[in-house]
Amino acid sequence: MRLVASLAALLVALCLATAAHAHAVLIAAEPADGSVLAEAPKMLVLRFNEAVAPTAVSLLDAAGRPRDVAIRAVDQSVLVSLPSDLPKGTQAISYRVVSQDGHPVAGSLLFSIGTVTGATAAPDGGVLHALIWLARLALYFGLLAGVGGVFFAAWISHGPAGERLIMWALKIGLVGAIASLGLQGVDLLNLPLTGILTRAAWATAINTSLFPALLLAIAAMLIAAIAWRSPSIGASWRRTAIAMICVGLSFAISGHAATASPQWLTRTALFIHGVGLAYWMGALAPLAVLAWQRKDSLLRVLRYFSTLAVPIVALIAVSGLVLAVVQLESFRALVDTGYGNILLLKLVLVSLLLVFAALNRLVFTPAIAREFHRTRPLQRSIALEFVLMIAILSLVALWRFTPPPRALAMSSDVPLAVHIHTDAAMFQVLITPGKVGQNDFVLQLMNGDASPFAAKEAALTLSLPERGIEPMERSATLGPDGYWHVNKAPLPFPGRWHMQIGALVSDFKKVTLEDDVDIR
Amino acid sequence: MRTYALFAVAAAALAASPAIAHITLEAKQAAVGSYYKAVFAVPHGCAGSPTVKVRVQIPEGVIGVKPMPKAGWTLDMVTGKYASEYDYHGAKISEGVTEVAWSGGKLSDQNYDEFVMQTFLTDTLKPNTVLYFPVVQECEQGVSRWIDIPSAGQDGGHGHGSRTPAPGVRLLPKS
Repeated sequence: MRLVASLAALLVALCLATAAHAHAVLIAAEPADGSVLAEAPKMLVLRFNEAVAPTAVSLLDAAGRPRDVAIRAVDQSVLVSLPSDLPKGTQAISYRVVSQDGHPVAGSLLFSIGTVTGATAAPDGGVLHALIWLARLALYFGLLAGVGGVFFAAWISHGPAGERLIMWALKIGLVGAIASLGLQGVDLLNLPLTGILTRAAWATAINTSLFPALLLAIAAMLIAAIAWRSPSIGASWRRTAIAMICVGLSFAISGHAATASPQWLTRTALFIHGVGLAYWMGALAPLAVLAWQRKDSLLRVLRYFSTLAVPIVALIAVSGLVLAVVQLESFRALVDTGYGNILLLKLVLVSLLLVFAALNRLVFTPAIAREFHRTRPLQRSIALEFVLMIAILSLVALWRFTPPPRALAMSSDVPLAVHIHTDAAMFQVLITPGKVGQNDFVLQLMNGDASPFAAKEAALTLSLPERGIEPMERSATLGPDGYWHVNKAPLPFPGRWHMQIGALVSDFKKVTLEDDVDIR
Repeated sequence: MRTYALFAVAAAALAASPAIAHITLEAKQAAVGSYYKAVFAVPHGCAGSPTVKVRVQIPEGVIGVKPMPKAGWTLDMVTGKYASEYDYHGAKISEGVTEVAWSGGKLSDQNYDEFVMQTFLTDTLKPNTVLYFPVVQECEQGVSRWIDIPSAGQDGGHGHGSRTPAPGVRLLPKS
């Protein structure tokens, strides 16, 4: 029981960790994707909507040769030092980073020096993605059908049924969990499939938030396997309860939804959703077996299960709805985004599933109560329910590849970023909201090699030459974050504003960098 | 809208006469390998506040610095090592004045004054470039830093892009 209490405490702690994180989205790159530059840039800057950990950045130059690049993460940016001898033509950069929710975010961008040439595209991850999807599906199957099945045997049917299927589900789930981890590493490092045999892939995956979730999943399945052979009913109750809590926790700590805020809500909803589904899906195989064998206990078990199922299905529906609302943000997103499309399809299948569930409860179960031998329709309906559930899980596993609209929406809401780079220094300017009106500026000052730049004073000068707005200077104040801030600087008109940032190094030395920024 | 247009005209008119507003050097050109009397013209205070201190940084390659004392002002000199060794009347010189400061006086915003020093421009300096003397003007209220040096490629000119350029002198070939 103490274990249950400590797991419950862990869940509470997870829910209280309120730092709001989202799936990282690339919001700007400099040079921008598709740009043609006169001269080779020294550095490529990728800006994300949140701090990220870069795992791999590869460069394929215009000659098709892979080149070594040095990467450095500074807050939300990843700075990629480019080789100085890039040939003329189109260069391809592929990047992989881990966002705070543990999801890898990958992408490529092309920029050209001088002219555009037929650059080679980044390697395609079709097979890898299919495997990741399959592993994820296997994991869900193990957690829901496997752990749920053991729980059903212990608590509802008070006797084992459908042992073979449940044990297979647990085995498949364990393989899926371990494969998910290795494949995550392969995906993060952008390795070929054989990379799953390398230590680096596993070491990388262990550092993502997926790892604790998978550990919990593995623990859940192992505990369930042990619980199957419990010496007493009490022991099997305890063990299966712990296994179910592990299932819920595993869902609650990883994935898109777990990182959406408010986290106490999304994590609780995920926990309930996961445990509820395990209860439901776990019951299907044993029920089908009981019906097929026409066990005497069938009617009692069916009644017991379906009495509990009503509130549990309601809980699953409510928690699912909460998650959908948080993630989707608008009805349009159902149609407009990949995430929304998957959700829409899932909802269709779920409605169908509910129809079958209702049929089982309202038609087939009473039919059996009247004439005990009429179990065939129920068997068929349960089998269909099971297939539908697997279809739904296959859809859900696809979410691994689509950022939710919530994260996409955040990326349109992020500050405008301008990166100015000269030999002397590298300044990054974040402008919030980056629109006409009052704006807050954050000046991130760095030396040319991205080391911190020590300034005594810093000032920002803004002008809009095209409208005759002469330079207006605002002095910046050093914030506790180590960056220089200018708050509420006016940008009264749209247009191409000229920005000049002066940083005083010593009494007699100032570094001044300037650039233009489009304000709308 | 109209007020902004007016503001723009006024600003443009102000911008058209930058030389008056800046701290500048009186003699605009000098040959390398010769003495140069650097006269810093201070035409006003910092945004109306009277000037109380003028600090001049001596650029590398300028040696033999002898500032002219000024009545009512305290003269201070900072000496230090040069980046390289220079030939000065047959002697090797590797250290000397690197900064000169006049302080303790009070120059009203309405008045004009000059701060003078004698210097020797070594022939290590490159002819046909502009040599800049960064100046920090400290006032009763505020500081003006005349320290902006155009990056290589941009010609000095006056006030190109900067509102607080460092005073400069165009170097001529050794005569």
